[in-house]
Formats: sequence, structure tokens, C-alpha cells
Amino acid sequence: MTSRLDGRRRAGIGLRGPHVAEIMASRPPLPWLEVHAENYMGGGSAVAALEQIRGQYPVSVHGVGLSLGTADGLDRRHLSRLRALVGRIDPWLVSEHLSWSTAGAGYLNHLLPLPYTEESLDLFARHVEEAQEAIGRRLLIENPSGYLRFRHSPIPEPEFLAEVARRTGCGLLCDVNNIFVTASNLSLDAIGYLDALPRAAIGEIHLAGHTRNDADGQTILIDDHGSPVSEAVWQLYAHALRRLGPIPTLIEWDTDLPALGILIDEAWAADRVADLVEVETIHALAR
Amino acid sequence: MPSLAEIQSDLLGAIISGDPRPAARHIAGDGLAPEARVDIYRHHVLVTLTAALEATFPVVRRLVGNGFFAYAADSYIREHLPGGPCLFEYGGSFPEFLAGFAPCQGHDYLPDVARLEWAVNLADHAEARAPIDRARLAALAPEDMPRLTVELDPSLSLVASRWPVDRIWLANQPGSEPGGAVDLSSGGIHLEIRRMDDRVTIRWISASRFSFRMALRAGSTLELAAATAARIDPELDLTQAVQELLLDGVWVASSLPD
Repeated sequence: MTSRLDGRRRAGIGLRGPHVAEIMASRPPLPWLEVHAENYMGGGSAVAALEQIRGQYPVSVHGVGLSLGTADGLDRRHLSRLRALVGRIDPWLVSEHLSWSTAGAGYLNHLLPLPYTEESLDLFARHVEEAQEAIGRRLLIENPSGYLRFRHSPIPEPEFLAEVARRTGCGLLCDVNNIFVTASNLSLDAIGYLDALPRAAIGEIHLAGHTRNDADGQTILIDDHGSPVSEAVWQLYAHALRRLGPIPTLIEWDTDLPALGILIDEAWAADRVADLVEVETIHALAR
Repeated sequence: MPSLAEIQSDLLGAIISGDPRPAARHIAGDGLAPEARVDIYRHHVLVTLTAALEATFPVVRRLVGNGFFAYAADSYIREHLPGGPCLFEYGGSFPEFLAGFAPCQGHDYLPDVARLEWAVNLADHAEARAPIDRARLAALAPEDMPRLTVELDPSLSLVASRWPVDRIWLANQPGSEPGGAVDLSSGGIHLEIRRMDDRVTIRWISASRFSFRMALRAGSTLELAAATAARIDPELDLTQAVQELLLDGVWVASSLPD
């Protein structure tokens, strides 16, 4: 394991279209970049630029459209496009979500929630296996941000994720901001949620900003990836690192995209948190 | 206990219709009405799909203003959800939708501007294809040539309009002066849009070449396409029109009908 104190940068950023030219020109010292799979499934200039960037940085492919939780079958065409992209880019990580987006012929462009039941567990695990087989890679499955709980949903979300990982051999992408948002919106204990995730399965962490909205007098947090990581989420991140050890971390920012330098500063802030946690750990061991 | 398929169908219905009640019965309140919780998801779907349309149709948005665009997009999204998760493929029927959208009446050029923007979007994302191997064409028996069908570069689109949509498009690019005057009566045009060397190009072509290439795109043989184009320009030189396909690099594959 690389020491966290050697000055190397470890947290990466999500690569967004408006930053591509600047990254290619200035090659900032970032350890890795992550792209949304669905933006690179055409044949145009975007993919050509990504292939160039891939020569300079490790890239992870983060899918948002596979709809692994759909009650219908997986979209075979989309799966084959994902396989082609993975073959072309050779990402070091490939991830998707615990969610669904398609029902019937319509795609809703959202990571919609699942009731956590035996039925949905069987189906979701089957789809993860099918997808892993199709792309020939292990997937990391990300916990979604939640705004509702179904009346019949007897399995707690972290247990559901743990069971999917156990059945399919997939890894987990622990989105710390999503845990914070979900816990706040659904009155759950964020620390308890994090601690219930199977440590060995977690292969990546996501961090992002959220907004605070008022809905009929109740505070609802919206995971809009449009601001700096909040102080509470940094604290939860530190807790995650204390429990998990060093995990590749990524800063996501999608709405109100700021200058590239601000994203890089956020990635460095994540490295500083990781450094502090490591110092704490060393001190604790020395005591 | 409802099945997963029922729950998903009800949630999809609630998001499209704006009536959260069918989905709300599956949802626990937890201090906030289930309907309000469904609405959070519905709002996100509409906002992000509107943003996807704005990204593909920035000139239409600039012409009609943000508020009207969002209003039109809301109606469009409810009638035409994306068929898949690649949002650069979303909006192909938006020009037709605008043509039939009552509040757009009186702005007849808008659907054609949207067609041009869609063509630019297609060109930007189309698969790159190499031109056909000329040696293979040269090896064909001369009498087979007219019977060939021609597959054109997938990045190529043809847009005709009685409005000067290319000038409207140009005058509404980022950085151009808002309100820069375009004379709407400055004549009809035939445009060819395609990607060359990683750049999308828009150029004027003659009406006869337009109809020749349109016919080829529709699957006509060279002979039939030439006959179609000759109705517009009896002087059209077929040999020259075919050579131009090769010179332009837009002829990517061919086959002989049985």
C-alpha cells in the first residue's frame, strides 16, 4: 500500500465536457479521471478526445443508464455499447448504480429507487451477473441518494448491497454524499449505514456537494453535484477512511460546473482528509 | 403486495402524467407526503431532460427564450421519453414536435432551425467511417454501376428550408450579437451537414445534388437517384455527381440489389 504521506495525489475528479480541452492542454497532476459511460457511446470527437486522455491518465467508466434494477430485461444494445466502450478505453474501474431508469420503452434519466425485497434482490443480482459477464469485468455498484422509502421494503439498503456483492462478486462504490443525503431524507443513521457496508467489497468512494431544500416545511437534501463537499460529508468521509483504510476517491461535480481548478482543489482537500486520517491512525498505533 | 413491475410502471406513469397518486400508494410518508416525494424525482427527470434538449438545440432556445423553451420541452418530454440512456440521441423528433406545437405557430422557421441543430448533433456523434475503396468500384462491370445502392457517410445530413436557417444558426452562436438581423425572405436553401476532420461543417449544395443524395440516402440505386435529381435539373451530369460522392469522401459502402 502506498503511504498517504508521500505527497502523491490520490483523489481524482469526474471529467466533464467543458474541461476536456484544458485537461489535454495543461495535464494537471491528477491521479485519475472518471467519465460517464453514456457520453462516450457515439463515434464522434468526444470519444476521440477520451482516447487521447486515456493515454495520460487512468480512467474509470461510470455508467448511469444500464438500469440494473429494471423489472424488464436489461437493454442488450446498451450492454453491448458498454462492452465496446470498456474494450476501447480499458478503464481501471467500471461502476453502475443500485437503481432503475427504464420501464417499458421509456428511459427516465434518473437513478430511481427500488423497494428492497427478495424479488428485487434476486432480479438485481441476476442483472449484475449478466452485466459482468457481458462486459467481462467486475462492476462496482453505487448506493443511490434516496428521497423516499417504499411501504414494503424490508431489507435495509446496506444489507441489500452487501448481499448483491456476496452473490455476484461485484464490488461496491460507496458514495459518502449519497449516504449523508439518504440518511437525512429518510431519518437513518449515516454512520450505522456506512458501518453496515461490507468493508472488503468497497472499491471506490464518491464525494460531491448537495443542496438543502424546503419541501412542505421539511428539509430535503438534494444530491445535485453542484457545490463543494459539505463539512458534514467531509466528516463522514473521514469516518469511512478510518474504517476502510485508503480507498480511491472521486470528486463529482455536474451542475453549475466551476473552473477546473476548483475541482482540483476539492480533490486535494480529499487527499488532506486522507492524510489526517492516516496520521491519526499512526498515532493511535503508537500509543 | 405489488410486484416490482407494477411499482415501476406506477412511478413512470406518475412522472409522465404529473399525477403522483398511483405511485404514492407504494410509498411511506415519513413526515413528508408520498406525493411530494414522488415530485422530487419527477422534477429531476424534467429538469435534466430539458437540459439535454437545451444542449442539442441551443439556437432554438436562444430564439424562443429560456422560459418558452422549458415550456415546450416539458410538453415534448411527456410525449416522447428518451428511448435509451445516451442523451445525445434524444430529441430527433423535437423539430416535428415544434412544427405541430400550437404556441409556435407564426414562427415557421423554428422547426427547420431545429432540424439543422439535430443534423449538427448527429454529425458530431456519428460513427467515423472510411470512404469506399475505389479499387473495388473500378473492378465492377460497367453495366452494374447504375444498379448500385450507396451508403453515405453516417455523419451526413441533408436539410432543405425555405428559410435562411444557416444564417439564423450562425447569427445565434455563442459570442454572436443577439438580434443580429437575418432577412427571413432571403431565400430557400439546401444544406449538407457532416463531420470532416473532427469538425462539423455546414455547406450549401445545389437542389439537384441535394435530391440526388437524398434519394441515395433513401436507398435508391444510382440510376434511380439520378432520375430523381434530373427532374430538378435535366442538365445534371450523372458521372460528375458520382465522382463528387467519391471526391467528397461521403460514399462509404455499396451493394448491388439482387
